Amino acid sequence: MKRRDFLKTSILVSSSIYFPSIINSKNVPKNSPVVKVHGDSPYKITKKAIKELGGMQKIISKQDIVMIKPNIAWNRTIEQAANTNPLVLKAIIEEVFNAGAKKIIIMDNTCHKPEETYKRSGIEEIAKKMGVQVRYADNNRLVEYDFKGERVKRWPVFKDFLEVDKFINVPVLKHHGSAELTIGMKNLFGIVGGRRGKLHRDLGMSIADIAHGFKTHLTIVDSFRILKRNGPVGGRISDVELKKTVIASTNIMETDVIAADVFGKKPEEIPFIKFAYEKKMGNIDISKINLKNFAA
Amino acid sequence: MSSKNIKLIQTLRISSQILFLFLFYFLLIRTGKSNIEPSGYVDIFFYFDPLIFLLNIIATQAIQTLFLLSIIPLFLTLVFGRFFCGWVCPFGAINHFFSWIFKRSKKKNETINKNLLNLKYIILILIVIMAIMGTHIGGWLDPFSILFRSSTIAVNPAVNYSIEHSLKEGANDKSIVKKGLKPIYEFTKKNILKTEQKVYFQSILIGMIFLLIIFLNFFKRRFFCNYICPLGALYGLIAKFSFFNLKVNENKCKSCNLCSNNCTYNGSPFKDYMKSECLVCFNCLKDCPENSIEIKFAIPKKKNRTSIDLGRRKVVGSILSGIFISAFPRISNITKSKRHKFLRPPGSVSEKQFLQKCIRCGECMQVCPTNLIQPCFLESGIEGIWTPVLKPNIGYCEYECNRCTQICPTNAIEKLTIEEKKKFKIGTAVIDRNRCYTYVDGYNCGVCEEHCPVPDKAIRFREVEVWNFEGKLKKVKQIYVVTDLCIGCGICENVCPRSDHPAIYITAEEEQREFNY
Repeated sequence: MKRRDFLKTSILVSSSIYFPSIINSKNVPKNSPVVKVHGDSPYKITKKAIKELGGMQKIISKQDIVMIKPNIAWNRTIEQAANTNPLVLKAIIEEVFNAGAKKIIIMDNTCHKPEETYKRSGIEEIAKKMGVQVRYADNNRLVEYDFKGERVKRWPVFKDFLEVDKFINVPVLKHHGSAELTIGMKNLFGIVGGRRGKLHRDLGMSIADIAHGFKTHLTIVDSFRILKRNGPVGGRISDVELKKTVIASTNIMETDVIAADVFGKKPEEIPFIKFAYEKKMGNIDISKINLKNFAA
Repeated sequence: MSSKNIKLIQTLRISSQILFLFLFYFLLIRTGKSNIEPSGYVDIFFYFDPLIFLLNIIATQAIQTLFLLSIIPLFLTLVFGRFFCGWVCPFGAINHFFSWIFKRSKKKNETINKNLLNLKYIILILIVIMAIMGTHIGGWLDPFSILFRSSTIAVNPAVNYSIEHSLKEGANDKSIVKKGLKPIYEFTKKNILKTEQKVYFQSILIGMIFLLIIFLNFFKRRFFCNYICPLGALYGLIAKFSFFNLKVNENKCKSCNLCSNNCTYNGSPFKDYMKSECLVCFNCLKDCPENSIEIKFAIPKKKNRTSIDLGRRKVVGSILSGIFISAFPRISNITKSKRHKFLRPPGSVSEKQFLQKCIRCGECMQVCPTNLIQPCFLESGIEGIWTPVLKPNIGYCEYECNRCTQICPTNAIEKLTIEEKKKFKIGTAVIDRNRCYTYVDGYNCGVCEEHCPVPDKAIRFREVEVWNFEGKLKKVKQIYVVTDLCIGCGICENVCPRSDHPAIYITAEEEQREFNY
């Protein structure tokens, strides 16, 4: 080997170690469309969004076991808009079953006690009625998972999320004190266990790491009701604003960019979106995103 | 009475005991299932407890209407004697069961131990006198309190743990035996078990006391009921005047004294029958080979009354020592202490009243969905042992919950609506500036701000520049507490990521209830 070749390869190898995102970007679909639907019924706009994305059968294969991960973190009602709207979930569950899925599981690692949040959010009732398995996060089912991130490397994840074929992320768009916003990528905090508080040092980086290291097949952001202030718990109706929008895409970061725009914030100012952009998870420039607007 | 009828009565008595035991545990487990709102009747057993009623009247000089129900068993006692102990009391049923398990052939010359039997009356006098003097400790010895407390803090969590760790492993296993266990596991999981294992600091102490009480039955039948129970003593005092009586038909009796074989207090209707000790269990009727024992209802005449022979000296002695003992908590250093470190549940009355009203039953601990309410040890003085205190390190006060305020049978925790509870100030959050990441390390953290349930946020951010550990100035969203908005729910302390000691914690500062002894 010549000296020149050696230097070339060593620079390449070291840079690829330094930028693990260059090799490890299998989780990021390129040029996927982002669908934004506006309308009066959360159920109808979700149906429309899935249809305009090309239908659920594009994502779900027959006999798949599907995990739907809404935000059920808080003991709050639908009107208080701290959890995912159950009607949005209803539309997704219907579509997933129609696409031929064998089994659907709904689960979240909650902040308040799950017995309370699942019930008050209205999600448990609608899911059970539709034949969906509702699971509580069980600390005995935590396994180490390698996110290969800069800040988050090995971290405990609930086995339930790793044992499924497809993973659908259904966050609710709302204000968040330390992360600025909570959308799709932040919602993935619900798959990890352990001392999650520790991840809040460099929260933006942690969020981007987790979103980058974990494969999300579809992200549907519920922004029908959004919590403008005092999130992520909220609790006051006057802090809630009706946006009547649903955003869906297979690219988690671009969904978040559009959702941040819907909320009224510049995506570049949200730390976790910035970090995700640095990891090349998608476009941060809205004009470059393949955005389609619909009404239903 | 024919032997057939005797058998029927025996079956009735045992089924009644089982029924009330099941009812007690059904209500107890129902109280603890957190997705069921408490509906007022889970604490019903306490309302039928005249001892608690009596002590509550003495302590608070007021009558709680629901406690008037406890007059019913008192009246029934006048007719049937201490039927309550033998037929109804769930703790009595447990003791009865274990006395039966530990049954052995009767030792020769085992006779009534009158001194031991009198102990419970002395305890009753002590408790009442101490209550009059302002120290309310009846809850430590009241049978319902003991049973509820032991079940909540020790028995149920232990059962929960064993089922989770034996059956659950089995539920995932493929062997036939364990597959058979799966439905049992799923049933218990759905109806009895908690989603989350409850933990209590004093499980071991309370559990051991419970075991001790059960094992005492090995030495004497129904040890606790006969020799310690102050409620039994109260019923005994009334049973003295009851219409109920057991009579030996002297034409039939052959003086074999077999009737004393299974008597709960080692007595017999044949020889020294004691109405106030008889638990109306009818074992003697069953044991009599000649069917010579008869149940008689008659107006008790003065000369027929079996006296409780306590003796003047014992009565005076116990009254005087009651007065003496009750002074100790009043002169403990805590009464003069200017500060206190413990938190009481939302809706608690002022500390002095709280200690007088609380019967240490542990219903609030059972009903708390987050395990926040824990039995106190010495934080609030010897007098306060097993009263509820809040430990935000273990749980937090759920913003949308008021269950502990609904459940308290003696209103030591006053009834609050959810809206009132949301405004009730348990304490105040204090930031430890030597620990908080946003103060010392120059890190953004904000987990406490995120969880703060007050709509206006009692924990807020301000942008400041902090010297981090590299000696550089860094812009940080630093937290601060708005004392007027903070309700002291403790979720900030609970979620603080510090591993050693929380950087934000709740103290009794500015607590809403009055704190005066």
